[in-house]
Amino acid sequence: MRRSSFPLSSLTAALCVCIAFTTIPPVAVGQKKTAPVEATPPPVRDEFKFEKVDLELREQVELLDRRFERDGMVLEDAATSAYLTRIGQTLIPKQPVIDNVTPKELVIENVTWKFRVLRDPQPNAFALPNGSIYISSGLLALMDNESQLAAVLAHEMTHVMRRHQYVQNRSNRKKYLTMNVMAAVGAYAPGGIAGAVISIATTIAPFVVMATMYGYSRDLEREADHRAIDMMISAEYPPEEEIGVLKLLSKDIEGEQISLFYNDHPALDERIKYWISDLGTRAVEITPQMELNREKTRYFQQMEPLMRHNVELAINAARFRSAVYFAQRLVEFHPESSENVFLAAEAYRTLGPRTNELSAVPLSNGAKKDLAKKREKQTPDEEERDLLATPQGQQNWRDHQQQAESYYLKALTLNDPVPTAHRGLGMLYEKLGRNSEALAQYEKYVELAPSAFDRERIQKRIETLRRT
Amino acid sequence: MKFSFRSAPSALIFVVIAAVLAPLAAQGQFLHPKVSDKEKTLRNVVILPAKVDIVRTGMKGPEGMAAESEALSARVEKAVADVLASQKRIITLSGPAMSSDGGAQAKYTVADIQAKFDDLLPKVMKKRSDVKKGRFTMGDEVLNLNLDKSADAIIFIRGGGQKLTSGKKTFNVLVGGTPAYLSLQIAIVDARSGDVLLYTDPAFAGDPTTAVDRLRKALEKGFKKLPGN
Repeated sequence: MRRSSFPLSSLTAALCVCIAFTTIPPVAVGQKKTAPVEATPPPVRDEFKFEKVDLELREQVELLDRRFERDGMVLEDAATSAYLTRIGQTLIPKQPVIDNVTPKELVIENVTWKFRVLRDPQPNAFALPNGSIYISSGLLALMDNESQLAAVLAHEMTHVMRRHQYVQNRSNRKKYLTMNVMAAVGAYAPGGIAGAVISIATTIAPFVVMATMYGYSRDLEREADHRAIDMMISAEYPPEEEIGVLKLLSKDIEGEQISLFYNDHPALDERIKYWISDLGTRAVEITPQMELNREKTRYFQQMEPLMRHNVELAINAARFRSAVYFAQRLVEFHPESSENVFLAAEAYRTLGPRTNELSAVPLSNGAKKDLAKKREKQTPDEEERDLLATPQGQQNWRDHQQQAESYYLKALTLNDPVPTAHRGLGMLYEKLGRNSEALAQYEKYVELAPSAFDRERIQKRIETLRRT
Repeated sequence: MKFSFRSAPSALIFVVIAAVLAPLAAQGQFLHPKVSDKEKTLRNVVILPAKVDIVRTGMKGPEGMAAESEALSARVEKAVADVLASQKRIITLSGPAMSSDGGAQAKYTVADIQAKFDDLLPKVMKKRSDVKKGRFTMGDEVLNLNLDKSADAIIFIRGGGQKLTSGKKTFNVLVGGTPAYLSLQIAIVDARSGDVLLYTDPAFAGDPTTAVDRLRKALEKGFKKLPGN
């Protein structure tokens, strides 16, 4: 009897279909053109009925919340949390006034609002369907005022109120699109805390990555933008500040090829255009409160500790150019702060032989891709070593070490000088081979900060220097 | 050589199986010269919280298994400690404080060191053999963990895997696809200098939530080259 066999052409065709199916770029999801959204949707998707799949998703995101917290990814700062919560609560739509009764906040089934800061120097924000809104320290440090923060919160809150995550999750399951997420994330996820967030989210709730990394469908994003305007106006935030946020997000300090989370919603330029057009149709009366909410000083006073923490996170994540940018903003705002000046010194010291800005002109996509590939292969130490072998790298290092030294010395002359400036000077001198000066600075640091968390590390350096 | 249509299905099956099992077969262990030359002996180690995440893959795509992933992470940590103790006589000490007792700074320090490792891991995975050249280090920042003075090394564990629903299993039998598996990436880092002393990536095919024996065997194989005491 003749054995049956598959014709080769069928096998080839089947393989081609498989390959094509698994290599559809996820970004194509966000580019889908569909009908425009309704003009003024109600704040909450009332018609939404929870199904088993939605409740399962809710359970997973509750665990995701706990995991972010347990793994030290959430900033535990009562003042910042209270500040975010206050703004968030102001934005929550109120029920209409009936019979002179004080309007109450809308109660939404299966939503408990939580406003949290992710310890992540990369600018991004996302919402979970249970009402947890995450905003990264990198995005908070990039903003200029409270209204810009309100714009981001209003946008993310709309995703929750309009049940966008559940809608998107159901849609993804139907389309099998999440199957591609793992491969896509594997290819593009950055390192550090941003990478960890993506990696955890991918495995716990893949929809989060689909929605936040690649954007919701274009209509849902537009709806969130549209609703955010209403929420901002009723909470007395000038709505045009959202445009300011979008412009800030278009800054590409690190020359990153892959846009993440909040900045990958419909192309920023397009969003700016339709925001301007949406705003043009409304006559927004600027109130004194709106003017107040636009104040930079007030926002910076509130955010200064977080911005400092973000500089440290940026240095730790090898985002040295961002660290310099954020530290300079801090020094400009409060030049008499020893801590701010110290952070600027740290930023310049760790910037080392790298250029302050990637290039005078915006990098092409190809150049960004090359940069990303290089980052994948090289450690920061190897990058420095290679740069120091070039005349430009040597010049940069000379400039930056001088800048760092002058900032460290200045930090020590200001009121309440931070002992960490001695540690920084020690590290700088050690790198420059000025060992006796390094030793003296380290000893001073240990003397001034005997219970510092990094005492053991510095003590070990002291011992090594004493031996040499 | 003439191509035979009869052999096409078996060739295809071979290619599919090879492609599916390739990541599992590629596992290896790479030792830093300090360890292979026995210049550095490991007696006590600290295992940082493992991050092993698995998904349940069904016909409608992957679904999160947050609770199971946490349980598996704890099981992998324990299995690593058991294997090191029984095979190499290496003692696992208690790790740094991650609870609220240690305060936010203690939690952040661990999170930042873990993040630093997450930055380094893709570079190690890209050129694992460079561990043998002593190329990778996390720097002396690891000292900020303030571990027990007798700790020689820190162990970082990452991993991923999938469990299949019965529908997906049937689909795989008929059409083919990635089986249930667990793939780990484990690095042993010097507790003082931060140098990567060992990198190993044990893996096995099978349900990661139930295959206890396979996990242990994969780990034993993964630490085979590590000198014992």
